[in-house]
Amino acid sequence: MEPVISITDLLVSQGESFSLSIASLDLMPRRIYALTGPNGAGKSTLLRTLALLTVPQRGRIRFTDADCGSLPQQRQKVTFVEQSPYLLTGTVSDNLAFGLKLRGIRGKEQQKRIKSALKMVGLDGFENRKANELSGGEVQRVALARALVLEPKVLLLDEPTSNVDSKSLQAFETLLRRLPDHGVTVVLATHDLFLAERLGGEILRIENGCLLDRTHRSSDHNSIKEKKTWLKLLNAQGL
Amino acid sequence: MGYLTDSFAAAVELIFSFDQELRLTVWTSLYTSSCAIIVAALIGIPAGLSLGINRFRGRRLMITLLNTLMALPTVVVGLVLFGLFSRQGPAGSLGLLFTPWAMIAGQTVLATPIVANYVLAAVSGSDQRIMDTVLTLGATRFQAGVQLLKEIRFGVMAAVIAGFGRVISEVGVAMMLGGNIRGSTRTMTTSIALETSKGEFAFGLSLGIVLLSVSLFVNLFLNLLQQR
Repeated sequence: MEPVISITDLLVSQGESFSLSIASLDLMPRRIYALTGPNGAGKSTLLRTLALLTVPQRGRIRFTDADCGSLPQQRQKVTFVEQSPYLLTGTVSDNLAFGLKLRGIRGKEQQKRIKSALKMVGLDGFENRKANELSGGEVQRVALARALVLEPKVLLLDEPTSNVDSKSLQAFETLLRRLPDHGVTVVLATHDLFLAERLGGEILRIENGCLLDRTHRSSDHNSIKEKKTWLKLLNAQGL
Repeated sequence: MGYLTDSFAAAVELIFSFDQELRLTVWTSLYTSSCAIIVAALIGIPAGLSLGINRFRGRRLMITLLNTLMALPTVVVGLVLFGLFSRQGPAGSLGLLFTPWAMIAGQTVLATPIVANYVLAAVSGSDQRIMDTVLTLGATRFQAGVQLLKEIRFGVMAAVIAGFGRVISEVGVAMMLGGNIRGSTRTMTTSIALETSKGEFAFGLSLGIVLLSVSLFVNLFLNLLQQR
């Protein structure tokens, strides 16, 4: 199977103090990848680079099907939800419609997709709510719906559960787990190793701008070797 | 004190009598200033936005230049454009000198750096996530710029209003390029200067009241928009 994103010899420098360096990384389609590591490790930098917001000093990021397109066309395959998402002025519906309009999706199809995306994140009937009147958790879910409505190939999430209350967390996790079945590759940065484990998929540990190791958390992750790696990860995080 | 109160009463009476000369002067002011601010906005808003969101060599220098242009003395603008539009000047054949068009050109030169600078400040102070969000939703840089302007629309409106305030209250350009011709290029400010020197204090005062009222209405309009 061809990777959906292939990274080769990547170097992203931010000032003299920090650089992210990844020799090689393939992200396969319909999978969940959890980026873990301490603050300042390079998780968000990697997400921003994958979202084509940060230009690497060296190396190559190859997107399947998107290499030939212009930068905005490539960006339309990947959607990024920031840790503290920004909602555009207007209603929830305006926010979800923005990306759809850019893709030429209007009218009934647009309305249908907006309704469906809001339902997915548990915000049924929020279409006409003003964006600036939402709570932190609702903002996060609207931002996720705004990304999902575009049916991206790759969904990048930076600390997606940071504003989600415990009541909504389970539904949120269930939603994320289901996304690969809809053809979406999820790459999320999180400090929460337990969340990373619960979601399954692969855990990519990043420290000091380097990819240290990757651990596959599938349904058969109970092998002794995996448990040892998992404990090592938890210790590294001080948990 | 009696002189002031009598003049004020006479000024109010003049305003409510809808004096034809007063009306014409107010109209000329509003017309030239509005045309100038529209052109200045068409140039200044994209210029400020572009300087705010793009990083290129010479950007610092351009910002410094823009800041300097904000403080352009109106008489200097008047002088330079007078040379340009005068019969012997490079644009003399256009016959623009002492017409409202020359005044609009001069006022546009005055207002453009103000609009551009205010927009630049609004863009620089805006939330970085706006551009990131819009770009990751698939917008081109141009589309992202347009959306950013929508998000910072109050800053943009403040820019336009500041520019309007500058041009409607200036005297130098209107006097030098318009010539203060009655019924054609006489604005509120040039008229106030002329009438006061002629001893027609009440007429000058009535124009001053109208000028202040225009500023007040423009600001009230902005506040109203902000509340929506």
